[in-house]
Amino acid sequence: MINKKGAEKVLSVYWFAIIVLVATGIFIMVYNFYNYPYDVREIEANILLNNVADCVSRGGIINSEIFSGNFENDFFSICRLNFSAEETFEETQYYVSLNLSNASLIILDFEKGNKNLISSCGLEKDVEKNNLAKCVQREFYSVGSNSQSYLIKILTIVRKTEKNVN
Amino acid sequence: MNSKATILLENIIFIVLNLIFLGILILFIAKQGSGAIVLEQNYAKQIALLIDSAKPGAIMELNMEKAYEVSLKNKYAFDKVVEVDNENNLVRVKLSPDSEYVYSFFNEVFVTDFTNKNGYYVFTISKQ
Repeated sequence: MINKKGAEKVLSVYWFAIIVLVATGIFIMVYNFYNYPYDVREIEANILLNNVADCVSRGGIINSEIFSGNFENDFFSICRLNFSAEETFEETQYYVSLNLSNASLIILDFEKGNKNLISSCGLEKDVEKNNLAKCVQREFYSVGSNSQSYLIKILTIVRKTEKNVN
Repeated sequence: MNSKATILLENIIFIVLNLIFLGILILFIAKQGSGAIVLEQNYAKQIALLIDSAKPGAIMELNMEKAYEVSLKNKYAFDKVVEVDNENNLVRVKLSPDSEYVYSFFNEVFVTDFTNKNGYYVFTISKQ
């Protein structure tokens, strides 16, 4: 009786079927896991937002260059950003919108990059959300040299879907 | 051979087969995770994000021991593994002569990269 049980453990077709099934399952899982690219778009959008925030307000004090009148035109050189597209992509994969207001008065309101990406924001609950661009939005207050407080709203979007989603 | 010895032998075979099976699975998983293509993508994105978050004046040392091992295995010089294209804002990671992964960064800085010891890369960030 015991011998029979031992023989079954080694030779049973059923046992090998289970082994093959488990191996196939693990193989598929591992293959799928490593076949998907690492999605770093949200981290990238956060870093972009932090860079813009640091450029607009350093240590809680607003950058005086904002009031020079050329901030919008010189945004890329002042904030040291380069949105030029990679060869893989046909158009710019980044978007930034900046809104600076004091009480009810809007001082600065502009957007840079690919405006078509805005349509991706607010659709996070959709099924195929990974194929959409990643949006990060933040609001904070900063103090000007005249001790006035300003509300800064920044929205950054990173697409790069082909490099981050299968 | 008596029945007790047979049971012991069968159990040993059973355990050995299971260990071989587990070993093959672990090897497969480890090999998948340390493949050149996966590592190239991993390092290229990691370096691009590091550059994006860096300020001029920063010096960063990145542990790339896994990349070092893979490049040695593929007979590819480790000092050629990472290439930062400052003109087009691209990070290019190459762990074998036949493959590479490119990822872009948006921070307009000048990056120089070099290896100071085996398995490590140093990135210095300065104004463009």
